[in-house]
Amino acid sequence: MNFATFILRRLGLAIFVLLGVATITFTLSHLVSSNPLVAWLGRASGNPVLAAAYVKEYHLNDPLYVQFGYYMLALLHGDLGFSVFKGEPVSEALQQTLPFTLQIAFFAILLTLAIGIPLGVLAAKYHHTAVDYSISGFYLAGIASPYFLLALFLLILLTYTFHLLPSGGAFSPSVTEPYAITHFPLIDSLIEGKWSTFADGITHVIMPSLALALGIFGYVTRVLRSSMLDVLHANYIRTARAKGVDETTVFFRHALRNASIPVVTLASIVVTWLVTGTLFVEVIFAYPGIGQYAVQALSDLDYPSLLAITLVLAVIIVLSNLAADILYAVVNPEIRLR
Amino acid sequence: MKNDPSQQGKRFLKLFLTGNEARLGLTIVIVFLAVSLVVAVAGKSVVPYDPIKQNVGPALASPSTAHLMGTDNLGRDVFSRIVFATPNDLLVSFVVITSSFLVGIVLGGLAGYWGGILDEILMRSTDVIFAIPALILAMSIAVILGPGLIHMMYALMIVWWPPYARLARGEALQISQKNFIESAKTSGTSTFTIFRRHLARNILNPMLAYATLDIGTVVVVYAGLSYLGLSVQPPTPDWGAMVSAYQDYLISAPWLPLFPALVIAAVVIGFSLLGNALRDTIESQSIS
Repeated sequence: MNFATFILRRLGLAIFVLLGVATITFTLSHLVSSNPLVAWLGRASGNPVLAAAYVKEYHLNDPLYVQFGYYMLALLHGDLGFSVFKGEPVSEALQQTLPFTLQIAFFAILLTLAIGIPLGVLAAKYHHTAVDYSISGFYLAGIASPYFLLALFLLILLTYTFHLLPSGGAFSPSVTEPYAITHFPLIDSLIEGKWSTFADGITHVIMPSLALALGIFGYVTRVLRSSMLDVLHANYIRTARAKGVDETTVFFRHALRNASIPVVTLASIVVTWLVTGTLFVEVIFAYPGIGQYAVQALSDLDYPSLLAITLVLAVIIVLSNLAADILYAVVNPEIRLR
Repeated sequence: MKNDPSQQGKRFLKLFLTGNEARLGLTIVIVFLAVSLVVAVAGKSVVPYDPIKQNVGPALASPSTAHLMGTDNLGRDVFSRIVFATPNDLLVSFVVITSSFLVGIVLGGLAGYWGGILDEILMRSTDVIFAIPALILAMSIAVILGPGLIHMMYALMIVWWPPYARLARGEALQISQKNFIESAKTSGTSTFTIFRRHLARNILNPMLAYATLDIGTVVVVYAGLSYLGLSVQPPTPDWGAMVSAYQDYLISAPWLPLFPALVIAAVVIGFSLLGNALRDTIESQSIS
């Protein structure tokens, strides 16, 4: 199989999966209640004019498969429904919240690699010693912690004990938020050239990202440690040593490079964890992202928002899996030949 | 060479119990199981205070000999509340894992054995379910069902089976190409008998190890749903819900949200240590 066929196949699979996910959200939206109007309009469903408008807008009197057709058509146009609670289209609410979450996710991934890779290397270098065992204890605790424990722990340690970081929000109350140009507040503050706003935003991003990273870095460490140990026993490493290459070069240049490849396969676990974790982390740190939006929608029983968020999060997961698959095929040609 | 099964079991246990991690994991799991069962049978009478009754002590008291984990804002004993909530997690994880295990071994086993269209349908539908994080999908379903312990169990049962089906499929695919299955087929053994006698038995071990590890994951995700207020409703205690109710007291009484959260983490660590040790032992046995 050549590279183009491989990518086309993966793309086809991704599209299929997204269709499947849309089918699930559509089904869920019809299971919400025997009368979808009650679910979609909430208390406002008693208003006959509004109800009639909704029946027309969402084709509720048509057969189910026709409704599904309209639903898919609307999705393709970026129409994710209207949130009565927010008083705006769901797509607009998402446009305001998603960039905040992506900011946290970006830093969380950076921190995951920054913590996970060195610890994985250390654990492999000093395998079966006290260093190795304490590292594995450390990451096991991270993996085993429920999403909210790490956030609460950081809050107690870094805010209430050492007063290093703000307890929550995206910016301090005294700071004017940057004008929405790209909708990514950190990037926008840079475009405006307001360094103090940017710095303030960064201090608010650290703890939520760290809370997510501490829960996930263990997967990176564990996989890197075991693949390092595998690679270090490979023949080409023995050859390099026999040639007289010094141990540091063998370790970092020859072994680490190849041992890093399996880390790419963790993308799916990492992204799924991030997506789930943001729900809790954003609520605890009052960070105005999609996680906080989801939890708010949950308590309002705002179904259009909730189902749209489910769909958007699935899209993020599918796209990042696709990216990881392609990246994996690029760095590891063997996979393409299968 | 054929071994006496009881000898095999003894050897397995001996190998399994050599590791410190396995012993620690086993201890935590046994304590968790024992507490759950005792509380489930005996109810409120085994905990030092009534878990729902208010003002059994001063409000927000720090941990002491009278109140091991302190008291909450309503003067309820936190230790009693945590112990009393233990069976919830056992019930949810046991039911969710068992149902996923059964669904997985039947669907995955048949798909791997028969292949073809059934295999394709199964694999593609698991692809779709994998694309939505378990907690988010369970949350969407839970909203439709309404809050409650039993409803959370249904929601988790719906989303939890795909990894089991995949695992069983992979194992079945491997085993179905082995000679002893071929000879069973040619000697006219029915598919059902082959499945029951040869496939299921061989798929079982790796799946049991995975399931043990997975109990921890169910506990974490269930705690998340409970934290979001989707499970047991107050005043009945539940670990996740306690964390969310108590996190407002993070400054004045940080132990309030930390105790239930740490108990969740401890249970998860117990099952992952046990599951890891189980997997390692199974692997080393299959090698030898």
